[in-house]
Amino acid sequence: MWTIAKMSFREILSKRIFLITIFMTIAFLLLYGTATFYAAKEAGENGMQDVLEQSFFSTQLLGMGLYFSSFIVSLLAILSSVSSISSEIESHQIDTWLARPLSRSSFVMGKFIGQSMLMLVYAAVLFVGIILLNQWLGGTFLRVDVSMGQVVKALSVFLLQPLIIIIIGLLLSSLMSTINGGIVLIILYGIGFIGGFIEQLGAAMGKVALQNIGIVSSLLFPIDSLFRKMTVYLFDSADDPFSFAAQGIFGSLSTPSNMMLAYIAVYGLVALGLAMRNFSTRDV
Amino acid sequence: MTDTIIQTWNLTKQYDGKAGCREITLQVPRGVVFGFLGPNGAGKSTFVRTMMGLIHPTSGRAEMLGAPIGTIESRQSVGYLPELFRYPDWLTGTQLLESHAELCGLGRSERKKRCNDLIELVGLYGRGDEKIRGYSKGMQQRIGIACALVSDPQLVFFDEPTSALDPIGRKQVRELMRELRNQGKTVFLNSHLLSEVEDVCDHVAIIHKGEMVAQGEWRKLSAVKTQVEITVGSSPGGNPWADTSALVRESERLSATGERETWLITLADEDSIPDLVHLLSARGLSIYGVTQRQQRLEDVFFHYISQKEAWAHVDHRQNVV
Repeated sequence: MWTIAKMSFREILSKRIFLITIFMTIAFLLLYGTATFYAAKEAGENGMQDVLEQSFFSTQLLGMGLYFSSFIVSLLAILSSVSSISSEIESHQIDTWLARPLSRSSFVMGKFIGQSMLMLVYAAVLFVGIILLNQWLGGTFLRVDVSMGQVVKALSVFLLQPLIIIIIGLLLSSLMSTINGGIVLIILYGIGFIGGFIEQLGAAMGKVALQNIGIVSSLLFPIDSLFRKMTVYLFDSADDPFSFAAQGIFGSLSTPSNMMLAYIAVYGLVALGLAMRNFSTRDV
Repeated sequence: MTDTIIQTWNLTKQYDGKAGCREITLQVPRGVVFGFLGPNGAGKSTFVRTMMGLIHPTSGRAEMLGAPIGTIESRQSVGYLPELFRYPDWLTGTQLLESHAELCGLGRSERKKRCNDLIELVGLYGRGDEKIRGYSKGMQQRIGIACALVSDPQLVFFDEPTSALDPIGRKQVRELMRELRNQGKTVFLNSHLLSEVEDVCDHVAIIHKGEMVAQGEWRKLSAVKTQVEITVGSSPGGNPWADTSALVRESERLSATGERETWLITLADEDSIPDLVHLLSARGLSIYGVTQRQQRLEDVFFHYISQKEAWAHVDHRQNVV
């Protein structure tokens, strides 16, 4: 299992797409830092002191950075996971690995561990990078007042996003071809993404139907719930009726409960179990 | 430890009720080079992939190294070179071997030595640190052979192991298979190249249209018919084989030189050879030479294939009637 994990880890590192992603990430962080610096500088020169205004703009800017980070982490997780088993089956590369004294479950688990390790490191670096840029370059106006405890809690939820995507990616990869799995996973991601916005809008407008649509989409693919929960921890805005006003579309008026976190944990474990089971019973 | 390293009982793998292999019952003795023969599409690779646990049998059962196929125990000491060999091209040859050695549980120092030895054995000395993506097809097959041998397995499956190799490479692989047999290993050679199988195999099985046609020791299987080349003095009556139908099944004149004629005679069995010589002597014919002709694998192969076809034809006619 650990050999497969190591191979899986190294395989992503060896891909050109990973190198491109690293360069683009550095470019994004540079751009984000520059924007934060000049926004903070201009805000300081204009002397904006309104608390609500300060809260809105600072959390908007940080929320935006984290949302985009979440998006690129998700994209990289989708690209690396959805082809991990199916492409090896299609190319017959998997034959010699599975001919070894190794169970199919161990193979899936090795893939999961290898990809997760890399994605967790990448997601953590990106998350911490955004927070540090905000704290360092945000000045008095755009710096969000966060404690270390809030950052750690938010980070731990943020890191669950790539884990869930990798698990679903592996499940799809164990069931279908790379192209089909990719399409299904991107659609699922889109459902979770749009459903999350619909739920927040529903909460703001007081429309139960919209909220329910959002909840169903989150049950189907709970990525947006994780992002919302992360913002709640980071901005300490649980049960705050003004949070949506303060944080805009990146905030969380309809807050995912702890029960949702438990659901996501079970969701991930069941999906991982199904991936192992499917892969163990299928022909390659 | 039993003397049979592979045993199958009516092993069947069908794809939507078609193709694959059907009811293969097979025994492979330990320490031999076993040739698994068949035309393209006969089901050879399906059988091997089923044995390796890559595909699940539709029915029947099989054991490898005393354990049911599909279990980790059955693959504990097995090497495999697939017909469609593809390896992660971002690894170097050495890294590939080390990864496989690690999966087989070899220690770090043992791993390094083993990999270096194998790189040399398969003729890739000095090329082990190059990425596989830079390897030619033949080099990839060579690294695949090294990969199959990395755990020093008791049983090695070679599925068309020389398909990408030049004549020198083919010869080296044949020598390697003999060497493995000398070390007490079992080689399961899947091939449609009859000359390759004939050269190295002790035992063969012939598969046709997914079904087993024949199996056993190559020496015994090759005794499908007894043929002798016999040179006799010209018979005054013309055909020296007149009135010998009790012994001679077929006769064909191969050549005639002066007063001598060379004939190819098909007999019922080996015991008929001295009887034939005795009969000819009794008739006063001069016998200049008698040589038993060794059957070529090609003849044996076609004999069993056509026999199977004939039976299938009879079955079909009976079903129609």
